[in-house]
Amino acid sequence: MASIMRPSLLRQTPASTRSLLLRQNVGVSQAVNFHASARKQILPPLPQSIEGTMNDPAPLPKPSPVHGSYHWTFERAVCVGLVPLSIAPFAAGSLNPVMDAVLCSLLVVHSHIGFDASITDYFRPQRVPKTHALLKWLLRGFTLTTAVGLYEFETNDVGITEALRRIWTA
Amino acid sequence: MASLRSTSRLFAASRPLFRPASFARSYATVEGTKNVEPSPSEKPNFKTFKVYRWNPDTPAEKPTMQSYQLDLNKTGPMMLDALIRIKNELDPTLTFRRSCREGICGSCAMNIDGVNTLACLCRIPTDGAKESRIYPLPHTYVVKDLVPDLTLFYKQYKSIKPYLQRDTPTEDGLEFRQSPEDRRKLDGLYECILCACCSTSCPSYWWNSEEYLGPAILLQSYRWLADSRDERTAERKTALDNSMSVYRCHTILNCTRTCPKGLNPGKAIAEIKKMLASN
Amino acid sequence: MFSQKVAQQSLRRLAVQQPTLMQSAMMRASPAAIAIGNTQKRLATSSPNTEDPNQILAKQRLNRPVSPHLGIYRPQVGWIMSSLHRISGISLSGPLYLWATAYLASPLFGWHLESASMVAAFGALPVAAKILIKTILALPFTYHSMNGIRHLTWDLGIGFTNPTIIKTGWTVVGLSVTSALALAFM
Repeated sequence: MASIMRPSLLRQTPASTRSLLLRQNVGVSQAVNFHASARKQILPPLPQSIEGTMNDPAPLPKPSPVHGSYHWTFERAVCVGLVPLSIAPFAAGSLNPVMDAVLCSLLVVHSHIGFDASITDYFRPQRVPKTHALLKWLLRGFTLTTAVGLYEFETNDVGITEALRRIWTA
Repeated sequence: MASLRSTSRLFAASRPLFRPASFARSYATVEGTKNVEPSPSEKPNFKTFKVYRWNPDTPAEKPTMQSYQLDLNKTGPMMLDALIRIKNELDPTLTFRRSCREGICGSCAMNIDGVNTLACLCRIPTDGAKESRIYPLPHTYVVKDLVPDLTLFYKQYKSIKPYLQRDTPTEDGLEFRQSPEDRRKLDGLYECILCACCSTSCPSYWWNSEEYLGPAILLQSYRWLADSRDERTAERKTALDNSMSVYRCHTILNCTRTCPKGLNPGKAIAEIKKMLASN
Repeated sequence: MFSQKVAQQSLRRLAVQQPTLMQSAMMRASPAAIAIGNTQKRLATSSPNTEDPNQILAKQRLNRPVSPHLGIYRPQVGWIMSSLHRISGISLSGPLYLWATAYLASPLFGWHLESASMVAAFGALPVAAKILIKTILALPFTYHSMNGIRHLTWDLGIGFTNPTIIKTGWTVVGLSVTSALALAFM
């Protein structure tokens, strides 16, 4: 996503700085400057640097199944759990408080994992360590307030599916 | 040179009398340059090729797109033929990698008309009116023109230990054999030529190439995970079990879509994920 | 051998035609060297530059541009849908996070975000606005749910051939748009 919002990525301007060599030998008639780097780049990649020699293998991150396979399996389980829970309200109108609470907690977990994956993808700690840390803590804080807020709503109000039903038919 | 040019201009001036106007127009725009070949053939089928250029000798200059026009009637059917003709006849400074011209070496991998493919396996669209755009493999560091630096790619390949790891000899001391069924598991994996088309088509690899291994390397990784003769499957799985190496794959499947050899890196990664999940 | 002969011949010619030049040439180089045609000043074969060759490459690397990527890649259902999947997810979870946090903070600021007042506020809107808001909410939901199921089947290792990817992709697009419109007019 870092550069999905680069409107001027393909901006082409008439060639003003052609190499003399090209002009003489080839007679370039239609070369245009190609802005591979837009003026307002969002998180442009750093200049290339290679760790070690060409014959060293690239270092693999330390194994940690908690962030690897367990995380993946857990995420899929949450997704699978969300499937019936998001279909059921359409059939039943709304959910009973217990199922509603389960739906809310799964939604919070699913959202948190989704936001977290976005941060990991687009704001790498090696590239922007401070932004990365800030966003991670911001996400944790917001997830907490969201979880508490939804708990308050579930206990003091009508529940999220019932509220949505009422709004939808208002 | 000067005399040649003035005569060609004379010809160009007289052409509209007996040539279709469209031809005269397309010729007129490039008059006096060497970027268009003089064509004596009756019905030339000109096509414009726009090629990404960047010269490391003038690093301050921004990359440019340079146009070349070729008569398709005199060019071979493949994009590589067009590139070789441009280099031979129009502009010897154009730089690209090529070797086998039959899709087995993977040297001429590049982005043609927006899709990563091998230039030698990519037909030139015969629609002369549409220009073709040729870029180096996306989101790679450019060495020159269409030549990307694949050092990291090869280093990552090395990191997955792409060789048979086995300690126990066979009972009869002969070669390590496997059943036809086990051998069949490697079909669709061993054909990979490491051209890097899939890896450089993957947005996840664009943003995280330092740690995410990318489709090509993961397909190779699965090739060794799936090999019945290999004895280090557990170690291989442990090495991949972190948040970055495999799990930056979000099943975008550009890899499967783009593979010029018709392989399925996306499926291979899904199999790795299944293997890791069943630990 | 040949070069030596040539050198000797030219030397002789030089001596006949321009004796002064010959003299200066003799002063610069030893007669023996001229005799074997070795008058050229030899260039140093290795430069005194002791720079680490690895560093030359490392410096070159710093100049390299990154080739264009997102802007030039052909729009295909696969990756466009994948990016929309993330965008739709964020456009669902983002409002949920903001609303739930605001609900938690509402007693502090005196906001009214309880269901009754929200229902009343929404009910007071004109029909067109209602349908528009419903569509904006329903479309990411239907899309993200259906594409999510597509992703779950991929995680089972099913549906990886190119025609299947394209077919299921357009099916999800069609189904999600129609069901979102159906929800909006409900």
